[in-house]
Amino acid sequence: MIPGSFEYYAPRSLSDAVKFLAEHRDDVKILSGGQSLLPLMKMRLSKPAYIVDIGRIPDLDKITEQGSSLVIGALVTHEQIEHSALLKQKCPLLPQTATTIADVQVRNRGTLGGSVAHADPAGDWPAAVLALDAEVQIAGPSGQRWLKCSDFFLGLLMSVLEPDEIVTAVRVPVTGGDKTAYQKAAPRSSGFAVVGVAARFAVDAAGVCTRAAIGITGVTDKAYRPQRTEELLTGKKLDANVIQQAAAEATRNIDVIEDINGSSEYRGHLTQVYVTRAIEAALHG
Amino acid sequence: MAKFVGSKTRSQEGPRHVTGRGLYTDDFQLPGMLQAMILRSPHAHAKILSVDPSEAVKHPNVFAVVTPDDVKKMTKPFKPGRYAAGLKRPIDEYAGAIDRARYVGEPLGAVAARDRGTAEDALELIQVEYDPLRANVDVREAIKPSAAALFDELGTNLAWTGSLQYGDIDAAFKSADRVVKESLKIHRYSSTPLEPFVIIASYDAASKRLTVWVTAQVPEVIYDGLREALGLQDIRVIIPDVGGGFGQKIHLIRKYVVLVSLLAIKSGRPVKWVEDRSEHMMAGGHACNQEVEAEAAVKNDGTVLGLKFKEYDDVGGTISTLTIHFTNKLNNLSNTYKTPAIYMEGNAVVTNKCPVIPNRGIGKPGMCWIWERMMDRVAQALNMSPVEVRRKNLIQANEMPYQTISGNVYDSGDYPGLLKTLLEKISYEKLLEEQTQARAQGKLVGVGVVIGVEPGGRNAARDMAIFPEMQNPPGSGGVNGAKIKLEKNGTLTLHLGSPNCGQAHETTTAQVAAEVLGSTPDKFSTSIPFDSDLSAWGVAAANSGNNFHLYDIGAVHGAASKLREKILKLAAFNLKADAAELTIEDSVVKVPGNTAKQITFAELGRIAYNNQHLIPADLEAGLEATFYYTFPHANPNIVPGADRKVRAQFTFSAGAHAAIVEVDKNTGSVHVKRYIIVGDNGTIINPDVVNGQVYGSAAHGIAVALGEGFMYSPEGQPLTITYLDYGKCSTAETPNVEVVHQPSPSPFTPLGQKAAGEGAAIPSPAAIASAVEDALRDYNVKVTDLPLTPEAVWRLLNHNPEKERRIF
Amino acid sequence: MKQKIRVTINGRLYEEEVEPRILLAHFLREQIGLTGTHVGCVIGECGACSILLDGKVVKSCLHFAVQADGREITTIEGLAKDGELNPVQEAFVKNYAFQCGYCTPGMVMTSHALLKTNPDPSEEEIRKALAGNLCMCTGYVQIVNAVKDAAKGMKNG
Repeated sequence: MIPGSFEYYAPRSLSDAVKFLAEHRDDVKILSGGQSLLPLMKMRLSKPAYIVDIGRIPDLDKITEQGSSLVIGALVTHEQIEHSALLKQKCPLLPQTATTIADVQVRNRGTLGGSVAHADPAGDWPAAVLALDAEVQIAGPSGQRWLKCSDFFLGLLMSVLEPDEIVTAVRVPVTGGDKTAYQKAAPRSSGFAVVGVAARFAVDAAGVCTRAAIGITGVTDKAYRPQRTEELLTGKKLDANVIQQAAAEATRNIDVIEDINGSSEYRGHLTQVYVTRAIEAALHG
Repeated sequence: MAKFVGSKTRSQEGPRHVTGRGLYTDDFQLPGMLQAMILRSPHAHAKILSVDPSEAVKHPNVFAVVTPDDVKKMTKPFKPGRYAAGLKRPIDEYAGAIDRARYVGEPLGAVAARDRGTAEDALELIQVEYDPLRANVDVREAIKPSAAALFDELGTNLAWTGSLQYGDIDAAFKSADRVVKESLKIHRYSSTPLEPFVIIASYDAASKRLTVWVTAQVPEVIYDGLREALGLQDIRVIIPDVGGGFGQKIHLIRKYVVLVSLLAIKSGRPVKWVEDRSEHMMAGGHACNQEVEAEAAVKNDGTVLGLKFKEYDDVGGTISTLTIHFTNKLNNLSNTYKTPAIYMEGNAVVTNKCPVIPNRGIGKPGMCWIWERMMDRVAQALNMSPVEVRRKNLIQANEMPYQTISGNVYDSGDYPGLLKTLLEKISYEKLLEEQTQARAQGKLVGVGVVIGVEPGGRNAARDMAIFPEMQNPPGSGGVNGAKIKLEKNGTLTLHLGSPNCGQAHETTTAQVAAEVLGSTPDKFSTSIPFDSDLSAWGVAAANSGNNFHLYDIGAVHGAASKLREKILKLAAFNLKADAAELTIEDSVVKVPGNTAKQITFAELGRIAYNNQHLIPADLEAGLEATFYYTFPHANPNIVPGADRKVRAQFTFSAGAHAAIVEVDKNTGSVHVKRYIIVGDNGTIINPDVVNGQVYGSAAHGIAVALGEGFMYSPEGQPLTITYLDYGKCSTAETPNVEVVHQPSPSPFTPLGQKAAGEGAAIPSPAAIASAVEDALRDYNVKVTDLPLTPEAVWRLLNHNPEKERRIF
Repeated sequence: MKQKIRVTINGRLYEEEVEPRILLAHFLREQIGLTGTHVGCVIGECGACSILLDGKVVKSCLHFAVQADGREITTIEGLAKDGELNPVQEAFVKNYAFQCGYCTPGMVMTSHALLKTNPDPSEEEIRKALAGNLCMCTGYVQIVNAVKDAAKGMKNG
């Protein structure tokens, strides 16, 4: 329950952080909120020789509007997102998701950047950022770049991040009149999602869905977009039949996991149920 | 008219708990104290070939290492307790595994270092060579001849089998109109106290005195365990505030007390060990999973003539608690029913899982599970209302005290009355109508009504009923004491015989003592911790077995009565009055009608300790009293005779429970819409305290039914070693519980008080199962197994069982 | 290698040296001597270690002591003034919102934090706010009652 020994460094600038990471790239971990990293270190599943605490780097904790986008700094906490008036107005899927994460103590410390970088296959943020077609900003020795989230997540706790790179921000669109919701099956409210579904729909004046985006987490080795489901919803009026047929495709070509919280069969079924619920919640509020 | 017993009183424990001033074992620091870590087996079943501590020993900040060799050389095995008395051949059980590991997490050694982190680092340096063996995780597989035997001495994993019969069971089944059968299962779970095991051991080699501070519920287990294992004479056991016990901190903890003591002996320093949460989940102890074949012989009018059951208990990787889940069924064997014949057969199977311990209710939830599921089954078979079937078989209030066929004497209780009030509270008939309508609209709603007796006050000789070969009982009945001292300033100090784990012992005993002495509760303070040198303790000094209401209250009542006599004698002498005419009010001894003649407790205190001249020659100086209580109505059957009848426990509370649920068709989730209990806990001393016990035990039983529990892989790896994986419920998942009190005071206890600690955990799993089965009635579903996780319920209503078992 | 930190705890400034791997919970308990903060699970699932960090309730076992440099911490010992219980503590005592007391400091801290930002919470809001604090003894009924009672008391002044 006590982590292995490590050296601790809290840089005051992004460039210092990147430099240190590059120097120790073989044995270093980034500390953001620590809500995911500390349990792993305490169980000694992770034993880095160096910890870089990015919590003192200025200007990574802001939410700013930039045209038709919102940029959320990597150190913005789940709680800040949950209560942000700006996000409630301009990208409500984010606060809708944030309020379901773990519990109030974890939300006060856990960060969006940290969660995204951690790439937990049952984490809530990956589902939401995928559904938003969000981008992630990465800082490394060669500077900063933006990358689509859909290219960011690779698999179980794996992303494209190199050991000397840091997630510095997430950029999401202003979702305007889009209808959004996040629905989650979690036997314990503080626990991870058995299935988590983020939904975002653009619906025209005639009630036809012009764009459908669904992000699903908890079901396989990473969050994903169920393409066939989205296809079956696009261009249609979303009545119960359409929704049911679309939801039935939610795990097509997906290797559904099994664990103590459910067999693959049950989880696959639950995914359909929660995709349906997320769609209905988005449409009807 | 009682002044304090039964009324709202300010909590004595509260102020220190809400300000963080509780004193728990981990809060103690001793000079030079080291920190320990336990070396544990990562295998479910393996031969231990070699243990090489040399790298750890070399570590500069490591002060002592204990290996299996040390355990074998420096300690003796524990004497087989009463729960292992039925073993065909005695098997040595040491504090740690010697040459074979039998469950993941089984301790085999330990390290003491300067700090916890270093101890953990050092643990990784110990080289252990194992030869893994096939693990047994399924009871039926484990008893096959092809299974790998855990104990070569036994040659089989069926470590014990035995049976008891009361009444003429053959006649009952011959004269039945029909026989109702069912196969039932209950899974592994535990109350997982929030504070883990914590032990500090300090050995004074010159004086040969060992002192331990420990989170323990039963001091005798620690005391005897240390004496047996270490052969020491001078042992002191100190138990400060304990953060929850529930039966977890009774038995297995003695292994760790010995290991930590060995570290203290080897290092010459005090050593502290704080258990990790994952350690507790894998090796702290579980309530065992049970598979039961039950049969009820019934008449067409609903009378149950006889009950037969055969159970397989998965007791895990030790032989020392083989029979606890079986023998404890003797406590509530008849439940609330007058069934004249019962046959019980137990089979204890050792497997490569965590050993079992007496978690809250021990055996009794299983017994009530059998009874209440069978009553529903009988109702279905006879097309009768489940309430009617129960009513038909209830013991009546005017039959109390009632001797059951197995020898228990129910002191008091109005079971039909509890049921009646319960049905009124839920408007039962109207509810059934509403639910019929709701079901027609596709809602899966149901109600379950169950009733359970809650035994209290343990008889230490109970297990002799199944071990007739045990000639000299190591204990019988119960003995426990208390001391009350009137201080020089007129306040009073209580020193109880038992430790406590948060059941408001201080508040409750202060109310009782204040009532008897004519003082007020706020004048009392209780000295914690329990200290084996100072506390008046005996075999019943156990914060378990629903003992407090009987043995501690009895002891305090007795001590207060003795002290009152002394106070009156001293006051009479000083007031020149007759002791018989004196009254005490508000800590003042008075002569009624004469306001000039009175003397305060403070004045009496000053006399008793300072002023010999004012103490009568035939009265001992000082003002304190110690009293050891035994239950005066323990006969007949305190020790079982040839007929095997025994008073398993001495007082009997009861509760009628109703659960109203709705099942989500799509996900299988069960929503508890309402849970209400009508309870009889006898005379209630503190309503808030009793309510708290009922809420807490009910909440746990509900959570057990709906999904919390331990899981193992087919290889015997524990899969639930964190609270979240195990499924512990928070405020978000726990339903509200309503409690209505309808007490029938006991004629056998000083205040009429009965037990309240285990209570609602006993019938609640059955209540939930009954309600869920009712909600799924249109799906032709039988609920026979727990837990009712969402997936389990979804599979039931879709008639889609899992093809291959993944979880054990 | 030990690092120096300056941290304010219950209004008092401490200058201490800590090994980086020391958890804030253990630092508070063993180095500062404030044993009211309890450790129940070590990996951040039970909330027994809850404290206020710069005014927000967090789990001190999911935090290294070294990260607390320059921060303000309130532990359970910092709520009562000269033995006078604050409204949340008083409500807990009155309502018997505890049994073994092990979860109690964490429960009180989280309840206290809740009522600071939401002085009149519904039962649902109370249950959601306390969902990160596990209790094995009480079944939560009296705890929820205590928070409602504290809110009422604070409303009436």
